[in-house]
Amino acid sequence: MTSALLETSKLGKFFGRFAANEDIDFSVAPGELRAVIGPNGAGKTTFFNMLSGTTDATRGSIVFKGADITRVSGTQRVHLGIAKAFQTANLYPEQTVLQNCRLAALAHEQGTFALEVVRRSRRLLVIDEIAERAIEQLDLGNVADVRSGDLAHGDKKRLDIAIALATQPEILLLDEPVAGMSRDDARKTGALVRKLADTITVLIIEHDMDMIMGISDSITVLESGRVLATGTPAEIRANQQVQNAYLGGHSEAELEA
Amino acid sequence: MVALSQALLNGLVLGLIYVAIAVGLTIVFGTLRLVNFAHGAFYAIGAYVGLVVAQQAGLWWGFLAAPIAVALFAVVLDRVLLRPFYGKDATSQILVTFGIALIVEETLRLIFGSTTQQYPMPAALTTSVSLGAFVYPAYRLLFAGFVIVMLVLVWLFIERTDYGLIVRAGVRDRTMVQLLGGNIRQASTIVFALGAAIAGLVGAAASPIYSIAPGTGFAFLVPSFVVVVVGGLGSFWGAVLGGILIGELQSLTTLVFAPGANVIIYLCMALVLLLRPQGLLGESEVIRQ
Amino acid sequence: MTRARGDGGVRFAILSAAGIVLFPFLFHAINGYAGLATQILMVSIASIGFNLLLGYTGLLSYGHAMFYGGGGYVAALLLIHFMPDHPNLWLAVFGGTLAATALALVVGALAVRLYGIYFALLTLAFAQMIFFVVEQAEGITGGDDGIQSFPNALLPIGPYNIDLGTALPAFDLGPFGNLSDIKLWYVLTAVILYVVLIGMRALTRSQFGEVLTAIRENEERSSLIGFNASAYRLAAFAISGALTGLSGALRALYDGTISVESVGIDRSGSFVIYTIIGGVQTLLGPIAGTGIIMYLESVLSAHLGYWRLIEGLIFVAVIVFLPNGIVGTIRRNYLARVAKERAPSSRALLAESLRARPGGPTQSAGGAEAGPERLKND
Repeated sequence: MTSALLETSKLGKFFGRFAANEDIDFSVAPGELRAVIGPNGAGKTTFFNMLSGTTDATRGSIVFKGADITRVSGTQRVHLGIAKAFQTANLYPEQTVLQNCRLAALAHEQGTFALEVVRRSRRLLVIDEIAERAIEQLDLGNVADVRSGDLAHGDKKRLDIAIALATQPEILLLDEPVAGMSRDDARKTGALVRKLADTITVLIIEHDMDMIMGISDSITVLESGRVLATGTPAEIRANQQVQNAYLGGHSEAELEA
Repeated sequence: MVALSQALLNGLVLGLIYVAIAVGLTIVFGTLRLVNFAHGAFYAIGAYVGLVVAQQAGLWWGFLAAPIAVALFAVVLDRVLLRPFYGKDATSQILVTFGIALIVEETLRLIFGSTTQQYPMPAALTTSVSLGAFVYPAYRLLFAGFVIVMLVLVWLFIERTDYGLIVRAGVRDRTMVQLLGGNIRQASTIVFALGAAIAGLVGAAASPIYSIAPGTGFAFLVPSFVVVVVGGLGSFWGAVLGGILIGELQSLTTLVFAPGANVIIYLCMALVLLLRPQGLLGESEVIRQ
Repeated sequence: MTRARGDGGVRFAILSAAGIVLFPFLFHAINGYAGLATQILMVSIASIGFNLLLGYTGLLSYGHAMFYGGGGYVAALLLIHFMPDHPNLWLAVFGGTLAATALALVVGALAVRLYGIYFALLTLAFAQMIFFVVEQAEGITGGDDGIQSFPNALLPIGPYNIDLGTALPAFDLGPFGNLSDIKLWYVLTAVILYVVLIGMRALTRSQFGEVLTAIRENEERSSLIGFNASAYRLAAFAISGALTGLSGALRALYDGTISVESVGIDRSGSFVIYTIIGGVQTLLGPIAGTGIIMYLESVLSAHLGYWRLIEGLIFVAVIVFLPNGIVGTIRRNYLARVAKERAPSSRALLAESLRARPGGPTQSAGGAEAGPERLKND
């Protein structure tokens, strides 16, 4: 087994007696594009929130690059290389697209805190380059100077990804990145995400089966907070349990990616 | 022993005033998500209106007029000024209500002057009652009983009526309340006016005990925030529990180490905010990072 | 510092200097006296500090009087108990400021993890505790009456010990008074305020300031791109507390007395009022707000008993109708037009040059940056 970039062991999140996530053993190798799918309420977002540090795990552990990060704060995890894009685009609405990305790049460059009073032009260049690159990778070049609050929905979602990307992560968590997008937009974004996975590891939660089957290297299926199955798209499509739990409502035609 | 019993009773009386103010504060916060720094103004207006009416027509008319006048004022405030601020960020709310509190206090000062006033009390009520080993002012006991009755009524309102349902639901889930429909606006205004009226009524009723000055409202408001924090923002019983606790704490500390009486309640507030910010009975919402 | 100069910094520096120098004379022409002018400058230092916290970090503190009065009391006590024979202004003021900073670090460390109303209430709680302790510790602080008089502090520069009460040489300026109206106190305060103002400008435009703004605008996002929001807030709180302490120390030494009101809730409220009326998120707003209100207070309170009522009305009116404050509104409406015509900032030019690289994705439309915070200077 290749050395995993990120793995969890018996990871669980409990609210009182209710188990949002339970007993999750998960592992992803560097460079993989892993989709996490499952019916609503399966605990996908909770799982991502535990990975990103937004939510504390109740049980189990998370290991990243061989180090246990279960108790590490979300802010610290960004600097370790785990970045997350939000389900609902979480932006700086008053700032331009470029400025949004520059802030993320700045955070990456200077660490969690710095009392920087004097601007250093060399660092400015580095930051601008990082931000630029993130914008290019998400095809937002033509709206770089637009106030992010004024963007169209699809652009906002892509900007959210770009912001996460600008923190130079090793693993990127995308929570429903194409939700609410038009077919074309979704397809385009899917292709961009596929390209991202060439250089970094990407975990993606999605309901859009076309996109998932088309771009993923592998898929993990969650149901009722537990892992139901993990495998290649073909394996998952063929998996009877998964069919019943989740894909049952989709016609065979839809599944032909 | 005598001193202790008196201190305990004084603490209860003081605590009940805090409870009455805190209940209004807390249900308004729970339902409207409004932090109302002007709540003390309701108390003060109640006290003064009560005073003026009592001077003309007698004590009981004063007690009747006070909550009505304050409720009207609250409705006007709600309609004219505060509505856009509901649900907005806490800072804006604190600022505008703080401004209103300032205006009200200074208007009262303009009208009535800065000197403290005494409430005209019928002779019958100024007597003291024998409670075993010591005597205690009858009015204070009456006042305590009166506030308790009032709180029971408020509790019934919250638990048993439709408007109260919105109070209870609002504390838990604001969006849910909006989704449920119902005449939210009307309910909100009623809740706001109710909270104000309670404060106004207590303002009038407590004045014979604590006398009246333009700054009294704010002077009672700040400890009431302590109560609300200790009890838990949004919790009725939290306000009750917190109020009694703080009142007793203040009273007992006065007995033991007078200079520390005021310091200790703020120390309490700081400790609660740091160790259990949702208060004793509050919901654990997102309060800290 | 070269960056600050690039975006209007030189002009700002010159205009501010001119303003501070001319202020007492213009003030005289509207019946303000020089002593009040000095006090306005002193309190403005605190207001600027307060605004860093409220306007740029988005935190409303309801207890800043603990730094103001705290700084003042410590300075006064240092003079009385430690230097009665050689009252040294530097040491007293420095001591007061240091004490306020230490207090700010302690309170801040506890408070900055709390949100909105809880933050305001915690600062209020601490301020009230300090108020009552100061009130009760009569032996040290003089209780309600405070400390009535203390030695006149001298300012040692080189071999000289300067009495700041010394007036400038007489020179008649007609309706603008006389040069000798100005005491050296004013000169010292003016220099300190100027340094604070320029420093604040640099700070808010620096990367530190940028991150503060980002945290204020969207804290969740800021945490999840790797900024430690609490640490930034604490730094802002400490700086704010330090400036407020400095202001209080200066004021105490200038007045020669200090009372428990300086740590009271009304004093805390006053910073809120000055800053909101002047305009949060502006540099000159706090100074303007302080000046206007303190001036009106001095002029009107002599004639009108209900001066504070007017103050309250102005305050609420500004909140409701002029949410950017007086200076902020002026800046938005009139200077916004000028900013569009002005040349773009160097940062924008830099960004443009990067985009203009071969293979770059965009043509940038123009240099002017978006968003109200980014409007160039005052």
